[in-house]
Amino acid sequence: MKKKLLVTFLILILGLLYFEIKIPSMPSYMPKREYLDMEIPILEAFITAKDSSMIELPEGHYLFSQSLIMDGKKNVTIRGAGIEKTVLSFKGQKQGAEGVRISNCNNITIENLSIEDAAGDNLKVTDSDFVVMRNIRSAWTGKVSTENGAYALYPVLCNNLLIEGCEAIGSSDAGIYVGQSKNVIIRNNKAYYNVAGIESENSSRVEIYDNEIFNNTGGLLIFNLPHLTVYGENVKAYNNHIYDNNIKNFGVKGSIVSTVPRGTGIIVMATKEVAIYENKIENHKTINASVVSYEIYVPPKNKKKKKKKPLRNGLRQVEEDYIQDISYSAYPGKVSIHDNKFKNKYFIPALDNDFGLLWIMKNKLQIPDIAYDAILPSNYLLENRTPNPEYKICVKNNGKINFVAMDAGNDFEKFSNDLDDYECDVEFEL
Amino acid sequence: MSALNYLLQLFLLLIFFGCQSTENKNIVPTARKVVPKISLTNNVSKEIPKLSDYSFFKGKLSDLIPSEDVYMYELNNSLFSDYSFKKRFIYLPEGKKMTYREKGVLSFDPGSIIIKNFYYPNDFRNPEAGKEIIETRLLIKEKNYNWKTLSYVWNEEQTDAYLNIVGGETQVSWTDHKGKKQNLNYIIPNQTQCKSCHMLDKKITPIGPIAGQLNRKNIYDDMIHDQLEYFSEKKILLGLPKKDARPKFSVWDEESSGSLEDRAKAYLHINCAHCHNDLGPAKNSGLNLTYYETNQRKRGVYKPPIAAGKGSGNLKFSIVPNEPEKSIMIYRYNNVDPGIMMPEIGRKSIHKEGVALLEEYIKSL
Repeated sequence: MKKKLLVTFLILILGLLYFEIKIPSMPSYMPKREYLDMEIPILEAFITAKDSSMIELPEGHYLFSQSLIMDGKKNVTIRGAGIEKTVLSFKGQKQGAEGVRISNCNNITIENLSIEDAAGDNLKVTDSDFVVMRNIRSAWTGKVSTENGAYALYPVLCNNLLIEGCEAIGSSDAGIYVGQSKNVIIRNNKAYYNVAGIESENSSRVEIYDNEIFNNTGGLLIFNLPHLTVYGENVKAYNNHIYDNNIKNFGVKGSIVSTVPRGTGIIVMATKEVAIYENKIENHKTINASVVSYEIYVPPKNKKKKKKKPLRNGLRQVEEDYIQDISYSAYPGKVSIHDNKFKNKYFIPALDNDFGLLWIMKNKLQIPDIAYDAILPSNYLLENRTPNPEYKICVKNNGKINFVAMDAGNDFEKFSNDLDDYECDVEFEL
Repeated sequence: MSALNYLLQLFLLLIFFGCQSTENKNIVPTARKVVPKISLTNNVSKEIPKLSDYSFFKGKLSDLIPSEDVYMYELNNSLFSDYSFKKRFIYLPEGKKMTYREKGVLSFDPGSIIIKNFYYPNDFRNPEAGKEIIETRLLIKEKNYNWKTLSYVWNEEQTDAYLNIVGGETQVSWTDHKGKKQNLNYIIPNQTQCKSCHMLDKKITPIGPIAGQLNRKNIYDDMIHDQLEYFSEKKILLGLPKKDARPKFSVWDEESSGSLEDRAKAYLHINCAHCHNDLGPAKNSGLNLTYYETNQRKRGVYKPPIAAGKGSGNLKFSIVPNEPEKSIMIYRYNNVDPGIMMPEIGRKSIHKEGVALLEEYIKSL
């Protein structure tokens, strides 16, 4: 009898464990394709396009063995017959890492088409000014996997950039990734099945609104990393719907997004002048929204007792030398989170990362709507013992929320749910 | 207890098979060939259509015997392009000159043309015995002081080469130094791809002709000359400083030419630094592999990837001293997957000797 009971009990435990490890299973994107080969004429059009001209791509699913590159052109429009109609596929490409690559251009529009299955990034635009990406579906087909390319839409080192009406699907890094750019609008896009839905990294004067970000590992990331050509600040995100970003992190190890715990709605990391308002942020298993310093990614060291281990998932062991980058500030500041609607249908945090465990131990099992690591810089207090306004974090008018100030720099000693210190306003110009 | 065991095994099996993906993302699908109903472009090229029209060479074109005003030159280190050989020339119209620079590319007068021929000797043990020339690439310094790139693809008969726009592939074969037959699908880059390497701060630029690379011996008129001094004597190079003031790169595969670190730096310079410098196309990565960069962090030591995607290969740093197998640099250089390999273009095969050098270098750090 005893043995039977034991076996039943074990089946139950193993069953539960199985579901905890297995679920959620990875989603797929499987459009029907009948490929055509028009590689040479389309390639020739990209290479020989004159300034102030239009390349019109007819209806069809075109397969390419190499990247389509455009360089050094002005006032060129690349236009498909429609998102569902013109498909540029790079499945199994033999040459080049990108699908479409545009560099050193001025005033370029690419619109009304789909780009799929590049070896690296689907659409990369670099060192260009006045760039429009409009009505583009950029995806990796099949089951979502680490084998997928990194970025679906990847403008980097660009000025005056508009991304609208696009869809980003299946990126093993970020779906829409704006890096080291200035004057950016990201609006009315959808991002799903990516590790990160939308990411603004080291970019400034960025507006992110009217987007739908769901079924990613993390929804919206506003990051500022050390040792790069430029640093980011001044980002507004409003009227976005960010929900159910709970899929397993399938990022490549070593990438910064591979450290994002699944079930994270928003992360603001080490960025100054950030306003998050009038968004709907819902149903995340780890945190709906978080504000953190770069230090949370760095393991504690030189402590007398080496008991503390770096947190799993959340915390990468790299870039401990960020302190040497004197033009970089590792702390968020002038961040305002106000007038958002938070909801959560989940009441047990994801247990595959240390944040979930932290919420169980310190937050009465609740998943926070807003979590702030509260790691403070050494110059946090001014000479007159008042807080430096540069590092102000304000949280206001978000309804009834679960707020957490983690005190992550001091072993969570002063872990607190008290919002009083954070009801303030931040003002900055965009 | 056997029931327990059985259950545990079942559980492990479930997890194991549950995680297996049966897809192969690298399979190339089939595609039906079509032509556009209306032309996608109506641009007719105004460039010179054939290599022979330039009159760079006298006699039989494929012998590549330079005409007057065309000067052969060599570099201490050469970019690895699938084991192809290169014959390099500079054309300077009468009275036009180059001006010496210590670190950057020499300054060329407008009208100068840099000529690089890519070829495979039939037998690497006897390179002069017979060869197949694949393509000739030109860098043309225009009147407005900007550089322009053009390339010409040789016909099978080796009688001439024709203007190349869209690139292509061609089968090449040779007998290697060990007497082994080799062959591969050589990729001829398209017109825009030239710029993937030859860009610096939004302008096209040559890569090879810098003082440290040109500072070597070469044979002119059956005599061994110091290359830079020869140019200076011919009065086509201005401002050459005294011998001991000229930088000289080590030769990556000549141990006597310099320390391991110097040879590795020279190798990385020619193979990587055209993008990985502070003004080049890969500046966003923060990795700088120019010969003159001394900051180890910028050279990759404990530098994490920025936007490498799966190119990072689940590794954390570009270089982990003493651990080449943990260094992204080796992972990417020792790879031919287009989504992973570095450089992104220009090779289809792995440069085993180069990988070995870099591994040795990382082990020494």
